[in-house]
Amino acid sequence: MSKKDARNGSRPASAMSRRDWIKSSAFVGGCAAASTLVPGARAATAKPGRYELNKPENVIYSSCLQCHVACQIKAKTWDGTLAKVDGSPYSPLNALPHIPFETSPVDAVGVDAKLCAKGQSGIQTYYDPYRIRTVLKRVGERGSGEWESIPFDKFIDEVTQGGKLFQGIGDSRHYPGFDEVVALRDADLSKAMAADAKAVGKGDMSVAAFQQKYADHMDKLIDPAHPDLGPKNNGFVFDAGRIEHGRKELMKWFTKQSVGSPNAFEHTTICEQSHHIAYDEMTGGNNHHMKPDLQNAEFVIFWGTGAYTANFGLTPMAEKVTTGKVDRGLKTAVIDPRLSNDAGKADWWLPVKPGADGALALAMIRWMLENNRYDAQYLANANKAAAAEDGEPTWTNGTHLVKFEDGRGAARVSAAEVGVGSEDQYVVSVGGDLIAVTEDDEDTPVHGDLFVDAEVGGLRLKSALDLLRVEAMSRTQEQYEAITGVPERQVAEVAREFTSHGKRAVVELYRGPVQHTDGYYAGSAIIAMNVLIGNADWKGGLQKGGGHWHEFGGKSGNVYQFADMHPGALKAFGPTMTREKHRYEDYTLFREEGYPAKRPWYPFSGNIYQEIIPSFAQGYPYPGQILFLHMGTPALASPAGDKVIAMLQDPDKVPLFISCDIVIGETTMYADYVLPDLTYMERWGTPHVTPDVTTMTSKVRQPVAKPLTEDVTIDGETMPISLEAFLIAVAKRLGLSGFGDDAFGPGMHFNRPEDWHLKAIANIALGDKPGEVVPDASPAEHDLLVKSRRHLPPSVFDLAAWKRAVRPEEWSKVVYVLNRGGRYAPFGSGYSGDYMKRKMGTMFHLFVDAVAAQRNSMSGEYFSGVPEYRGQYDAAGATLNRGGAYPYLLITFKEAFGGHSRTISNYWTNVAMMPENMLWISAKDAARLGLRQFQEVRLTSPAQPKGTLDVGDGRTLDFVAKVDIREGMLPGTVGLSWHYGHWAYGSNDVVVDGSVIKGDARRAAGLCPNPLMDVDPILKDVCLTDPVGASASFFDTYVNVTPV
Amino acid sequence: MKRDSGKEPRDSSRRDFLHAGAASLAAIVGGFAGKAAAIDRDEVGHILDHPEPFVEGGAQERMRADLVRALAKPTSQRRWIMVMDLQKCIGCKACTVACVAENALPPGVAYRPVTQTEVGEFPTVRLQFLPRPCMHCDNPPCTSVCPVGATYKRDDGIVAVDYDDCIGCRYCITACPYGARYFDFGEYYEDGTPEIMSYETRPSPEYSEDRVRLVSDHGASPKGNVRKCQFCLHRVEDGSLPACLATCLGGATYFGDYADRESLVRELVGEDRVMRLKEELGTEPSVYYLV
Repeated sequence: MSKKDARNGSRPASAMSRRDWIKSSAFVGGCAAASTLVPGARAATAKPGRYELNKPENVIYSSCLQCHVACQIKAKTWDGTLAKVDGSPYSPLNALPHIPFETSPVDAVGVDAKLCAKGQSGIQTYYDPYRIRTVLKRVGERGSGEWESIPFDKFIDEVTQGGKLFQGIGDSRHYPGFDEVVALRDADLSKAMAADAKAVGKGDMSVAAFQQKYADHMDKLIDPAHPDLGPKNNGFVFDAGRIEHGRKELMKWFTKQSVGSPNAFEHTTICEQSHHIAYDEMTGGNNHHMKPDLQNAEFVIFWGTGAYTANFGLTPMAEKVTTGKVDRGLKTAVIDPRLSNDAGKADWWLPVKPGADGALALAMIRWMLENNRYDAQYLANANKAAAAEDGEPTWTNGTHLVKFEDGRGAARVSAAEVGVGSEDQYVVSVGGDLIAVTEDDEDTPVHGDLFVDAEVGGLRLKSALDLLRVEAMSRTQEQYEAITGVPERQVAEVAREFTSHGKRAVVELYRGPVQHTDGYYAGSAIIAMNVLIGNADWKGGLQKGGGHWHEFGGKSGNVYQFADMHPGALKAFGPTMTREKHRYEDYTLFREEGYPAKRPWYPFSGNIYQEIIPSFAQGYPYPGQILFLHMGTPALASPAGDKVIAMLQDPDKVPLFISCDIVIGETTMYADYVLPDLTYMERWGTPHVTPDVTTMTSKVRQPVAKPLTEDVTIDGETMPISLEAFLIAVAKRLGLSGFGDDAFGPGMHFNRPEDWHLKAIANIALGDKPGEVVPDASPAEHDLLVKSRRHLPPSVFDLAAWKRAVRPEEWSKVVYVLNRGGRYAPFGSGYSGDYMKRKMGTMFHLFVDAVAAQRNSMSGEYFSGVPEYRGQYDAAGATLNRGGAYPYLLITFKEAFGGHSRTISNYWTNVAMMPENMLWISAKDAARLGLRQFQEVRLTSPAQPKGTLDVGDGRTLDFVAKVDIREGMLPGTVGLSWHYGHWAYGSNDVVVDGSVIKGDARRAAGLCPNPLMDVDPILKDVCLTDPVGASASFFDTYVNVTPV
Repeated sequence: MKRDSGKEPRDSSRRDFLHAGAASLAAIVGGFAGKAAAIDRDEVGHILDHPEPFVEGGAQERMRADLVRALAKPTSQRRWIMVMDLQKCIGCKACTVACVAENALPPGVAYRPVTQTEVGEFPTVRLQFLPRPCMHCDNPPCTSVCPVGATYKRDDGIVAVDYDDCIGCRYCITACPYGARYFDFGEYYEDGTPEIMSYETRPSPEYSEDRVRLVSDHGASPKGNVRKCQFCLHRVEDGSLPACLATCLGGATYFGDYADRESLVRELVGEDRVMRLKEELGTEPSVYYLV
């Protein structure tokens, strides 16, 4: 072995050259044009002041998508090649402070701003040699890895018409097409049926009456005996994985309004959904995501998250924390079983036992209540008028009285019930007297007693604060310490610090505390800490972010009101496939089957990713027909996601499976057809801004690099193959509403991607209020727009086509926004005196009536209106029986350079900086097991007792990893980062058109923690899930570690 | 060994010797079809024409203004230094990758790694991160061992490599006490995949030479050369801050002209918590850390 080989000893296939591969035109690799460049030479003309990447005509501003933060990027092109990506200095996500919006992009071109390692590596997501260029159709069993490339038009023919699509390989099954699934196509009929079906579900109309009324249309229903399940159209499921604004609205437009199915889903429950639901319920639906004002806070507790590695996200957040610490004495505490980068630099590190977050929050609340370290004056405010007197933008229902029945808070008592007011008023105790209160009353201030426990006319009434107190006081600090592993002394120290900065202390939570079965309650308890000090809307406190200009309408100044621009839209009806946003009790199934339901219903949550395919395959509440997966890989990314492999491999359970992907990933590999998509470098979008940013910001994503998929022509319009091209083609083929000529109304067509996306950008440019417009682009800026897109083909950049997408008077303003990649309010404009400029301004619900009134569909037991802690549990709420032979709790985390399943193609990070992930284990546990650093161990769990994984294509993977022995790890806990351990996505060989495309074994390195994770013991086909917030449990699985 | 910093490309370079008759040097810049007329600096202004910060209150714009001021002086009157505040370094490695991307570096070459160290025992344990660029020593041990004089200290403080002169002997790698030099073995990240994509073979802007590193050309510089951080000289002399600094998420990295008493870096190195690595060696690094 030569020295060179030795240096790269771990690298496979390094001896093979490009010509060893058999090429296929279906892949990016193998079809590059020969370069005209001269090797090794240097340019004699190169001289200072002429740096190629500092020329404005080589720069386009856009938005990243290496993670959902969607930072703003400055994409730089050199001789047609996307050469470098930096952060945009215009954007408050990337620059602190950001430069004025009015700055000329020519003047500013030499200013680059921050972008994380993932963003820097985005070039390698775009230029992935394993990207797909043409439509692929399987020519073997699902998962066989054998494909043929087919013309786009043939693909559209087949998936719209359906039929015996795989007869050629000996499969005579009928595969459904869109034509038969979209059975109900009459908009008026759909509206009428929807209303009556709802009445049937609620028992206000009989099934027989419905059948009689719609006797001619029974063939359009999934099940005429259950008309409330909706039309056959619901058999179409759009499983979106990661989809952002711009495409997100398009997904709903197509799925709900053109196809008439309610089934458009994102992936939020494998992210941090229960945190959103906790905010949502506690703010009365006003905010689903709040963040600290990091530029002015004096103390921040980062709970199961941080500002330095992931969250939402590190690029905008990190510098606010680091400069805060060095320049103005900001202190931080980090609660995490693992010494994260944040924890390693914090003033306090609290290594909490995974899943004990709710208990730890209640321990802190107990300390705050016992030591009178809460804002009593704020909490006494029972309505808006009382809050206003104190200069408080928000108030709480903490003083509102709740009926205490059967040992639980059932509902806030109405003033009518105790004879002090009307039905729509609530009740507080004021010095012992009951007073009616109206939440939003701006005239009569009501200040209530905080902790009330009273009997009134046979009713036991407790204030919401008292219910919280009872829960917090239900354990001693010693008992809490035994549960959480966090010393009582540390709880007191951190709680004291938290209550020593007035309004300028915040607890920030994200994924860590909520990806548990009790995620909603844990999140609620943590949010309650913020509520107890009344920090919302204050400078340095908890805040909702600066917001954005509304790109899809809804504001008076918006020039395109998309809600009114879909003539002929269908009205989707019936429950969602995941039963999200629907109550079991509102359906005929409930009246026939009662509790428990076959699968859980989730009235409070949405985008329940882990539940989509298992429900589809089981046929509950109804069978699915067409599964359309977009930018998602549930088999890899969901806990216990490997359980979907067998479902996807069975065409009787998942009849037609189309996957829209950029590379053949771990779930796409089982598809019938693969639709190649564009990466974020080649397409449009209008992603929203993180609430960490306090100034108003609208982001634009636009093509910055030439498309690597093939062009296709649909009705004379040429565009790259992509999600947009597919939706346009299917809708046009079937004549569905919302696409084609006059789709948006007379004279407004939807024939190209720009027809949709540029209208959204016009809304940003023209603003929310009349007159709130951006300047017109100068003639030089119009020239710059064209020159900086000279590397894009006409299928992407055709000036005339772009101009046609908006009204002539809007174009110049659109150019102004495109040339800056978005629209931004000035730095510092997010404040108004001591307050945030953009306020929540409403009531916090310390007691949540809606949750308290709802039963768990799997048990019939009521949920709790206040946070509670009772460990982790199954779908029916029964405590899990765990441990035993599996002594270590498994946690996952992200490296700052690994965002999602696709970052494995980023060789600069995942290969160069960390070729494989290792199992973090505490030094104490390692010593006990006799492990030495980097020794290999096998991981086993109840879900994978052999420590192996069958991936359904004949391969079995070993759960073997090297250990990384750490002091900074809670003993009894082991950790595996997410984004390694691929078994597809360019890591394996596939056959296309009879040619082998060799995989790159470097992309298979390391382990994916998700298949180890617990399966719900009742459902048996899906991971443990929070019954309220629907977050997938990522941190509740016990594993064993044995040396190999 | 010092040379004039404004070192002009010479005619009899190593590359020319090895590849005589290969192609015209002038074919690189502007040598591609379909390129629109470049917007000329004189027509539309340039970053160097903006000596004032575009926005007040930020370190980066202040440093950029410092940079523009320094560039107005002759090269010999500039002293580039870098300062890193380790309290602000978050270990995110954005700088490492930004540097690789900016300079189009191959596998095995990363001018600015960031090391991570655990200090203490559970539960009293901390993390320390240390970004490690070239120290650009005033007494560089690496330059004196070069048998062909290919690496040298510029007047403005930057330790540079002349790729045309470098013979790849790697003595300098051994001599550097900071491990800041790397050998270009001629590899590509996408070796062994269906294709080496064009971003791996695009020109590297180092030293404003715009060298193309093609797969088909096995020996052409900088392949077979020693490579190192040059403070992104090609950016700096065009009015932009080094790539590592521009992307530093923690705002931990500072760059500027030590010779300018008004500069931010001059202010920072006056702080009590300043230190340099291996000061005992007498190398006099131009890279300072705030601890």
